[in-house]
Amino acid sequence: MFHKALWYQNYKQTRMIIWIILALFIIHMPFQSVLSLETWKEREEQANQAEGYVYEVQKWDVLQIFSQGTLPVFLSFSIIALACLLIGLERNTRRNDFTFSLPFSRKDLFLAKWLYGVSAIFFFHIINFFTAFFIIYQSDYSTALYLVSWIEIFWGPLLGFIMFFTFALLIGTFTGEMISQVGLTFLLGFLPQGVFALIQSFTEVHFRYIFSLPDWINYLTPFNYVFNQSGEILSVVLPLIFTGLFLWLSTYLYEKNKIEHNGEFLIFKVLNPVFLTGITISISLAGGMIVSALAPWSADALRIIAYWIGFTTFLLFALLIGRRIVTMNIQFYGKP
Amino acid sequence: MKISGLSKTIHGKHILSDINFSIETGSIIGVTGRNGAGKTTLLRTMTGILDPTKGDVTIDGYSIFKKPQTKEQVIFVPDSSEAFKNYSTKEILTLYKNIYSKFDEEYFYGLMDRFSLPFVKKTGAYSKGMKALFSLIIAFSTGAKYILLDEPTDGLDVIVKKQVLQILVEEVAAKDVSIIISSHRLDELEFMANKIIMIKDGKVDSLYEIEEMKEMYKKVQLVFKEAMPQNLKKEVTILDQTGRVYTVIMDRNDPKLQHMIEETDPLLFEELPLLLEDIFVAKLGGVSNVS
Repeated sequence: MFHKALWYQNYKQTRMIIWIILALFIIHMPFQSVLSLETWKEREEQANQAEGYVYEVQKWDVLQIFSQGTLPVFLSFSIIALACLLIGLERNTRRNDFTFSLPFSRKDLFLAKWLYGVSAIFFFHIINFFTAFFIIYQSDYSTALYLVSWIEIFWGPLLGFIMFFTFALLIGTFTGEMISQVGLTFLLGFLPQGVFALIQSFTEVHFRYIFSLPDWINYLTPFNYVFNQSGEILSVVLPLIFTGLFLWLSTYLYEKNKIEHNGEFLIFKVLNPVFLTGITISISLAGGMIVSALAPWSADALRIIAYWIGFTTFLLFALLIGRRIVTMNIQFYGKP
Repeated sequence: MKISGLSKTIHGKHILSDINFSIETGSIIGVTGRNGAGKTTLLRTMTGILDPTKGDVTIDGYSIFKKPQTKEQVIFVPDSSEAFKNYSTKEILTLYKNIYSKFDEEYFYGLMDRFSLPFVKKTGAYSKGMKALFSLIIAFSTGAKYILLDEPTDGLDVIVKKQVLQILVEEVAAKDVSIIISSHRLDELEFMANKIIMIKDGKVDSLYEIEEMKEMYKKVQLVFKEAMPQNLKKEVTILDQTGRVYTVIMDRNDPKLQHMIEETDPLLFEELPLLLEDIFVAKLGGVSNVS
């Protein structure tokens, strides 16, 4: 996994997204910390003009700089793109033939990709975190840093991004090309919360019964670790466990890859029925949820009818999509 | 390099079935067969790109699947250089130097100079012929013993094709390497290959030295007073028929067949020069049976 050539090749095929990720990290932490200091100063000055009003930096303000807000969303999208350029795009082009013909084991090929991405995330995060931390630390608002824990601003996001990158790579080890890798990363990234929302909508429409969201569903949702830092010790332990688990599974699957199925929806055909059934049911339930929401809230019978109209319509769409998915083959050959 | 019992099934279809042969260094081997016969699949499996359903590929006794380091002795040149279209010439050089420990940089520069190939910022900008030459130059510079080429002259103009064939023959003569070429161009294979492997329905239909192959068959022109007798039709492969004039391939070492033809008292019974293409047609399907 430390073969110089593999690192060189990985960098060459992801150069642009790596620089985008670095730029996002810079905007997210150091740049935002500078802007936030100015904002806080301005708010304080305004507060000073109003009698009896004192401005204090809130915990939420600090979390925006380090682990919350819109930028982690963009970062997570960029991390998905990085994973897709490392695995998915290789499958769409002939680059996978070149990689697999090299005198390196598939385990080394995969671990080089993983370590390359993890190193980029790790170093970008650390450098930008400490720059932002130092900017606030040397300012008049250094006490704001006491409002947050290291888990919330450092370990949580770092381990969350690394876990999420490993998750996106794992999806790439069993999907046949880039679009399915992106699609399934989003779908499975939200799966536990998504399935919960669909079931909740079903029971709510039919029985007027609403479950409360159990914590374990949040813990099982990969996207949760990128967008939401709770500060609990579990925010450190669980990403570490999931990273280990995903890494082991993805290395195993990459070693067993049948790249003759590159360009198709999934590499392992045995998974096709499982995914197609899951996708069909999810799309149908989502259809029910969407259409029932259009009916008046108080009209119970109408909502149930609307639910099943939505369910059936989307079921038909899902079946049509499913048929296309089974026969799809997306490969770019380019000019010979 | 030894290919033993190699089988590959894709989408439930047997693409390769129990392929066995071995390759010694210092030879050029042509792999030929009809479209979809499994030539490219065979080359891709021989380089470990595809996992075989059964069987193994070994080099010096080591399986390339269990010990991938042995693949430093094998290089696969696909029929498209899509993978590197965004790399500059220098970047590809850096990449290969870091992969193949025996990469000969001086030799690389020598060949680039000899074929007047420019160093470009994106190799996607090379013409088709330049790409083909560049792929070969890189492949020969790696120091790999086994060079697998998939349709190396497909779509090239005559000048470049000559250059490609020239470099292949020269390199085999100069270095102790072996070239395995998958090609439809039987005239080219005939010109340079020592051995031909014919693949039919995923199986090795025949594996012969070219000269040995030509000694096995002969091509003759036969003219009969009337149509060719039915019993004779079963014994020969008809390549062409115009009226009562037949061009056939027959077993050279079958005196009984020779005698059978003479007994029909043909108006003309004349041997013609035998081409590899004739054997290909005879062994892998009649002229009308085009896939």
